[in-house]
Amino acid sequence: MSQAAIYVMAAAAVIGAGVYGLLVAGHLLRKLLAINLLGSGVFLLLVALAGRSGGAPDPVPQALVITGIVVAVSMTAFALALLDRLFRETGQARMDVADDDD
Amino acid sequence: MSLALDGLLAISLVVLALQVVTGASLFRSIVMFVVFGLVMALVWARLRAPNLALAEAAIGAGVSGALLMLGYRRLRAAGPEATRPGPRSSRLAAPLSLLVAGLVASLGWTALGLPEALGAAGAAVVAAMPSQAVANPVTAVLLVFRGYDTLLELAVLLVALAGARAVEGPAGPADLAIPTMTGLPIVGALLAALVPLSVLVAGYLLHAGGNAPGGAFQGGAVLAAAGVLLVLTGRLVPHPVPGPVERWGAVLGLLVFSALGLVMLARGQGMLSMPGAWSIYLVESAMLVSIATTLVLLLGAAPGLRRGPLP
Repeated sequence: MSQAAIYVMAAAAVIGAGVYGLLVAGHLLRKLLAINLLGSGVFLLLVALAGRSGGAPDPVPQALVITGIVVAVSMTAFALALLDRLFRETGQARMDVADDDD
Repeated sequence: MSLALDGLLAISLVVLALQVVTGASLFRSIVMFVVFGLVMALVWARLRAPNLALAEAAIGAGVSGALLMLGYRRLRAAGPEATRPGPRSSRLAAPLSLLVAGLVASLGWTALGLPEALGAAGAAVVAAMPSQAVANPVTAVLLVFRGYDTLLELAVLLVALAGARAVEGPAGPADLAIPTMTGLPIVGALLAALVPLSVLVAGYLLHAGGNAPGGAFQGGAVLAAAGVLLVLTGRLVPHPVPGPVERWGAVLGLLVFSALGLVMLARGQGMLSMPGAWSIYLVESAMLVSIATTLVLLLGAAPGLRRGPLP
């Protein structure tokens, strides 16, 4: 088994963990963590797939992933600001609580 | 031997990811996520992507971790109920885990069976590298071949900052309530050593980025860490109105990059084409200032920062 194959399988498992967390987690902060995991899994898949051929590492997926990491941090910061506001408006930070008003 | 190391790192990644989504408490999940980021940095190093390893350790694990901890802290201040993760098992957990296992199996199977891409852009980049002003192919892709992506990425950072300010509402962000021990003599000594060192490391990473692993994003994250340290120790305090340093700092990268792109367009050389190594370093320096300013303002959850009272 090659190095790329190991990391491709790990990436698939991390993406799976992210999807599971996104669907099952009740707390919004944990959903945010799950989205970040999902992103990391996709980044790993991109770079690991590009590394299958051996030879010099392909710089294009690496540059894409650096861009992706910064966008993921921006997304996390914005989502946390949204979560903060939601919590101040409703007093809830979870999705699995029944809505009383509607 | 090296495959065994890869196997261990891969297993650690998957176990940590499962811990993040199923951990008993939110705090534990966040800590596991930071550890996941650090293992991810090791994986990037194993995959011969040192630029990514630096970016992941500084931005992915460091800045994301700090952001999540501060978000957790703001919720925690409202009482233990706000950070209770909720019931451990939802009725859908078992069927969903089966479906997700199917997803993982099919994803892995498909990805392993994919034919290698012919005529990928990477080979063209490697072939074009000798004629470029910088020797680091990742920096060349970010600023020369795909400058448009990097320009828009700076716009994303700015939009995230503006969006975070907008949704915070008129009441402003919740107080960070950071216990500041500004009076301790050791804090002053620590800052006197760490802050200049961070500036030095950020500058080095920017300079090295041309020919070796490093670049504006990694350097910006290191500089942001120094800014966050100043906020956490009360040397910089949140202020409701951004000053000129914060305003110009946040847009400098976008301004310089766009201005250079337009000048090159006016000279008939194609928008965003880089006339030489000096222009790459100029744009990267402006990007570094913008990235650091934006990250400090996002982490401080404040529109502006002012010099705090000296102890």
